[in-house]
Amino acid sequence: MKELLSSGSGKIGAAFFIALVIISIGVIVAYPANFGLRYWSNPVLWADNPQVAPPSWTNLFSSEKHLETKVFESTGQAERLSEPGATRIVYRFNLNYAADEAPSFTSLTVQNVSYQDRPPIIAVTVQRPDGKSIGLYQLIVSGPRPGEQPPFRRYYDTPFRVQLSGEPNVASAVSDFLEQQFSLPISDQDLLVKGVDQAVFGVPDGDGGFKVLKGNYTIRVDTLLYNQSDSVGHLKYVVGGSVFGLLGTDTLGRDLSVGLLFGFPVALFIGLVTSVVTTFIGTVTGIVSGYMGGKTDTVIQRASDILANIPLLPILIFLAFIVGQNLFLIILILIAFGWPGLTILIRSMVLQIRSGNLVEATMTLGASKSRIMFRHIFPQTAPFVFATMIFSTPAAILAEASLSFLGLGDPSLPTWGQILESGFQNGGVYVGYWWWILPPGLLIVITAMTFVLLALALEPVVNPRLRRVQ
Amino acid sequence: MLVKRRVREGEGEEMIRLEDVKMHFTVRKGLFKTTTMKAVDGVSLKIGKGEILALVGESGSGKTTLGRLTLRLLQPTSGRILFENQDITNLHEAKLKMFRGRVQAVFQDPYSSIDPFMNIYQIVEEPLVIHRIGDEKERREHVYKTLEDVRLTPPQDYAEKYPHMLSGGQRQRVGIARALVLNPEYIMADEPVSMIDASSRVEILQLLKRLQETHNIAFLYITHDIATARYFSDRVSVMYRGRVVESGPSEKVIEKPLHSYTKQLIAAVPEPDPSNRFRERSVVETGSFDEDDADLVEVEPDHFVAGFKK
Repeated sequence: MKELLSSGSGKIGAAFFIALVIISIGVIVAYPANFGLRYWSNPVLWADNPQVAPPSWTNLFSSEKHLETKVFESTGQAERLSEPGATRIVYRFNLNYAADEAPSFTSLTVQNVSYQDRPPIIAVTVQRPDGKSIGLYQLIVSGPRPGEQPPFRRYYDTPFRVQLSGEPNVASAVSDFLEQQFSLPISDQDLLVKGVDQAVFGVPDGDGGFKVLKGNYTIRVDTLLYNQSDSVGHLKYVVGGSVFGLLGTDTLGRDLSVGLLFGFPVALFIGLVTSVVTTFIGTVTGIVSGYMGGKTDTVIQRASDILANIPLLPILIFLAFIVGQNLFLIILILIAFGWPGLTILIRSMVLQIRSGNLVEATMTLGASKSRIMFRHIFPQTAPFVFATMIFSTPAAILAEASLSFLGLGDPSLPTWGQILESGFQNGGVYVGYWWWILPPGLLIVITAMTFVLLALALEPVVNPRLRRVQ
Repeated sequence: MLVKRRVREGEGEEMIRLEDVKMHFTVRKGLFKTTTMKAVDGVSLKIGKGEILALVGESGSGKTTLGRLTLRLLQPTSGRILFENQDITNLHEAKLKMFRGRVQAVFQDPYSSIDPFMNIYQIVEEPLVIHRIGDEKERREHVYKTLEDVRLTPPQDYAEKYPHMLSGGQRQRVGIARALVLNPEYIMADEPVSMIDASSRVEILQLLKRLQETHNIAFLYITHDIATARYFSDRVSVMYRGRVVESGPSEKVIEKPLHSYTKQLIAAVPEPDPSNRFRERSVVETGSFDEDDADLVEVEPDHFVAGFKK
């Protein structure tokens, strides 16, 4: 251990490894168990994110200021007003608009509504910095169905989401607003084509287009309830930007940083499980083969010869078609084809150790074969075994990434290889979605480097001739 | 005593007997050609209870192989090995364990014959663990006592040490303690002092001799060093090219060698005073001795020589 940390590469490797482990543990604790299927592969959850948006920090290097996605939710302070026969709840969302472009979309999501007799009404109004305000949208929650008993519950299982930018009612409201305030005649259809948000967050530039109106906006969401026990559980208003988060999004609007973080424990799992099991099998078979000799030796050696010479990739492609793409199957195959190399090496080491005095001396004591093999021979191969284990870890991670890149990965879990592959599939390299291609690539390289650095630092431990003179 | 002797020792009784034992190895020369290497070629000898037999001869004469055969570390090509008149020639590995509990070995190289990954206590305790003798506390007492027996005192100081922390002589004491801990009746000592500093050699030999006397252990002392053989052993067998050429009481064989090979071997012992060298050498007969399969002839009581013609 001391030897390991005495070298520069050992220190860096150990620091990186500890970071990897801490991130992985954090992710395992923080992420839900079935993250892959329920969250990552569920497009509904990512609908409110801009698609293929670069990271928001790119604004720092850009002359034009891009809009960051803003999400407003009905969790803050609300104003309650009593009206005859009804209660009005008003949420005011303040938006300081400083970007040089219109939002890529705006959306409203309503969830968990329940009412007794009259359906609640939800209305969205935008108050602009120039003092004008637009009644954008009004939602009357669907009425009772015949035979349904109160309380009427709506939008519990599936939230109601409306893309305001593409909604004909919104277009018509904005069209009226433009006609009245700016005397600009424009049809609903034209407005939908040009983009409703261009008009909502801008003023006509006199050229048939709009220019962005910067300043403080207030988005006001009114909820009108007709009964004391009526409620609207959750409201969400989103102003979609063109930059997002730390690492941007993919074509489904998925936050890449979330997927890449999840890749940490997955990569470590693949790397460590594969290398530990491979090394274990390789060591045991190598020692048994070398020590027992005879038929046992022949069987193990022929088996490893065969496995070592079967090309792995065609087998994997074949099995991916037959059995389906499964992470555990991939690990299993990497293990099944990974051990023979080590077996052959360990066997040759054991042949040398076996002819030494120690084995003979231990035999004289009456020790059993298994005791000689695992109590006396194994410790002599242990340093080499551990170094091999660390060396083979990045190999397994890289193998999984390559398979994913070929489209043979497990589609239910985001791995770095798969994020890389989907970026590539969507033309990321040609279109320039660098934030989709570089981070997973870099993470794979850094993780592999971590283990290579550790193995380099372990080299002197394994090979005393490389030890530095103190 | 933790480990009990199974049979009370008695003078004159036989411990180990080899009957016309041959050990041939097949050596591969080229792809298809093989030759047979006759390491031991028809040796008969016996070691009595509590007796020290020195096996002397030059390198490659087969003495180490013969030593290994007496422990059944090798299975002979032909012939019989008897331990207390019981044939152990074809015993299976599993059944050998009982036998292994009663015979032990001390090896030439104290560096490679003890496990560098175990501490001294674990090394000496191992035979007891293997043969499932005693509980933790009894074993500890017995191991400490054995360490004291080989003069690694106080044992507490040595128990936690690892072999690389000890000198060659101390390591060999560990090797002896390991051989002694099961209280064996027979020990094969293969050049036990040849790799130890000259300064420690005598101490180790004295230790072995004292242990042999107090425990009445039969010894096969394999060496190329005539001087120590004379000091240490009751009887001497001289080996040459896989065969015993002369055998008899140490005094007789070394004082009055009859076979010309024995004579050469004794003449090759360096003389402390170099001025005597030429005088000594001049005594040597350079005439050939019988290399053919000559039988041992009893020249005088208990003194056998190969191919001797009266």
